[in-house]
Amino acid sequence: MGPQQLTFAISHRTVLHYSATVHASYNEVRMYPRHRGGQRVLAFALTSAPAAAPRSRVDFYGNVVHRVDVAAPHQLLELTMQSVVAAASPQRHVPEAWSQRTLQRDPNLEFAQSSPRVPLEKATAELLHAWVGSDRSFDALGELARRIPTEFRYVTGATTVDSSIGDLLDGGAGVCQDFTHLFCALARHAGWPARYVSGYLGPKPEEDEVVGESHAWAEVCGSDGRWVGLDPTQGGLADADGAHIRLAVGRDYGDVAPHRGLYFGGASGSPPEVSVRVARMSAQDVIAAHRGGPMERQQQQQQQ
Amino acid sequence: MVQAFDARALLPPAADECLHPDGSPREPYSTLLANVAGGDAARLAELQRIAGAWFAERGITFGGSGEAEDQAAIFPFDPLPRILSAGEWTHLERGLAQRAVALDHFVADCYGAQRALRNGVVPASLVYSSTGYLRDVVGAAPPRSTWCHVCGIDVVRIGGDFAVLEDNVRVPSGVAYALMSRAAMADIVPEWLDAAGVRSISEYPRRLLNILQRIAPRPWQADIAVLTPGPFNAAYYEHGLLARGLGAALVEGRDLWVHDDQVYRRGEDGGFIHVDVVYSRVNSEWIDPLVFRSESVLGSPGIIEAWRRGNVALANAPGTGVADDKAIYPYVPAMIRYYLGEDPVLGNVATYDLTDDTQRRHVLAGIDRIVFKPVDASGGYGIHFGRLMSRLERDDMAAQVTARPRDWLAQEEVVLSRAVCVGAGGGLEARCVDLRPFVLLDEQPWIAPGGLTRVAGSPETLVVNSSQGGGSKDTWVLSS
Repeated sequence: MGPQQLTFAISHRTVLHYSATVHASYNEVRMYPRHRGGQRVLAFALTSAPAAAPRSRVDFYGNVVHRVDVAAPHQLLELTMQSVVAAASPQRHVPEAWSQRTLQRDPNLEFAQSSPRVPLEKATAELLHAWVGSDRSFDALGELARRIPTEFRYVTGATTVDSSIGDLLDGGAGVCQDFTHLFCALARHAGWPARYVSGYLGPKPEEDEVVGESHAWAEVCGSDGRWVGLDPTQGGLADADGAHIRLAVGRDYGDVAPHRGLYFGGASGSPPEVSVRVARMSAQDVIAAHRGGPMERQQQQQQQ
Repeated sequence: MVQAFDARALLPPAADECLHPDGSPREPYSTLLANVAGGDAARLAELQRIAGAWFAERGITFGGSGEAEDQAAIFPFDPLPRILSAGEWTHLERGLAQRAVALDHFVADCYGAQRALRNGVVPASLVYSSTGYLRDVVGAAPPRSTWCHVCGIDVVRIGGDFAVLEDNVRVPSGVAYALMSRAAMADIVPEWLDAAGVRSISEYPRRLLNILQRIAPRPWQADIAVLTPGPFNAAYYEHGLLARGLGAALVEGRDLWVHDDQVYRRGEDGGFIHVDVVYSRVNSEWIDPLVFRSESVLGSPGIIEAWRRGNVALANAPGTGVADDKAIYPYVPAMIRYYLGEDPVLGNVATYDLTDDTQRRHVLAGIDRIVFKPVDASGGYGIHFGRLMSRLERDDMAAQVTARPRDWLAQEEVVLSRAVCVGAGGGLEARCVDLRPFVLLDEQPWIAPGGLTRVAGSPETLVVNSSQGGGSKDTWVLSS
């Protein structure tokens, strides 16, 4: 029997509270799962309260971005995304390293350079050397992904959404966002284009659904232009179990933040309340479409 | 008074705009110098006073570097013009038009097929790491395929030849000071202008207006707004003058409102008026806080999407900063050859790409001759002259450019040519000058004959930036 196609129902709710009434807000939302690389979006809805008519565009990285403008006074903005996604089947492809000469003239060079949250600095260059020496093969990248969760502790709350790679190196602990930034830096030092992926982990094989998990991992691009996922939190290939559901890709977290917004009015904002539910769907479920609201569990916007 | 040393003695010799090496006047200056030399100092001092009063009366200022307590200063004006012969101008005009067109092609290419990057004409690494390269602009198609509607290209004379020192294709400023310098001369010494046969620049606002109307989504009823960062911006005076000249509204970000991808401005009666064209004097990185820098209060959220959808035209188009990143400058001659298949008419000042190891080593070996400029600053801020650095400062500079080579540009120090000016008390003295001509890009490039001649603040000063105490002169292009 060939690999089974896995289908998931996802709901992702974000609530923004303002300390006082704001008279308008402008929001960019990156919550449309990637409809590329073997993954397919079978159904999608984005709703907001107060109601607005979201308009979409595709950004530089191929992510679908929804603009949600609320022109009415409000003190709370709720964004709910619901979708049904057929996950990509696991890849068995081993990418080849680039000739650096070729990479210098390739658009994927974009992902092999410093980016705002993945600066290529001495500390990470030295770490790369200490861990894999001068090995620049794909195996070396696998070793980096394996090594990160053994060298750094996964501690929720050890870092924030704005933490840097330096914070992880200094503190020795972080979450998947930090691990992914570090992995991207190491892979780029090694001459591989590496990008940040925001998304979700599906439920484990023995479970039907998982609550409260938004996730981040990395993809590296081989010289044939194909991307392969590596998860430096789990310490291996990202698609080994077919349950890495991709939402958006970019150079680093700054390019993929699920929500980015501005508001007008003398109010202060607080960190958004986020809840995510990912449920495995049977063929019948897919046909019957999904029902029921998201389960409530508060979670940071930071990707864990 | 004891002087430790004469600062001028340290300077390499410079070209002179006005005199031949033997001291005789160069052709375009012969009449002027015959009039003022032999020096009636009292008459020159009087001219200088009248000119100063003329500018003060009209409140023509430059300054207030963003700090609220900084007073905007009256723009220092020298009453003796800088003169270019018809022949010199024809040469400059060709070179400037060629350069502006190539820069415009480059911007279009960066946001399109990136041919020049794939073919190795310009290193892709420099573009992808440029703060002026805006990923949200990739794939956009501005009206009439023009990006750099207004370019200000800084030209210096080295030896006998003109060369380009810097390209400004984001929000080049200074044209208002050129226009007002001419107006001042026409009021104060009209007989000089008549006698010399000086080409007019007064059609600049009309030419700019034509371009703005032609890029409007509805050219037959274009509402135009000039977007300014506000009164604390050094060039605020210019923004107001241009708005009046264009018959356009002068607005700040908070006066604009984007709704359903349409841009509106607050009218005087409090209602909203649809805006078709924004002539933006706000850097494009700041124009839309939703897309670019969320801390910006200078722009208007949503304006980029309105532009992408063709509902509003922006001049210059967003993203042109990729072409005036100082690290890209060394590659402009190659761009001219690549896009236009022509040899550059105007050369560059010798410049080194510090991200290239060989070039960086060369620079650090001869640091005396080098000027270091931060790639993302303008207005003459952050410039370091190797010649003037202590040993410690050199070591520090070397460490900085080795650690962060992308942040710095290294240029051979050029000594700007000098032109005669009226000094304190009416005496004549020579000061460094450069020239910023303004190129308007439409189907055919048009260049206002002349431009802004900037003058160093004193005979010892080597930089001419207005932010560094420099002033200006009227720039004459002779009609024959």
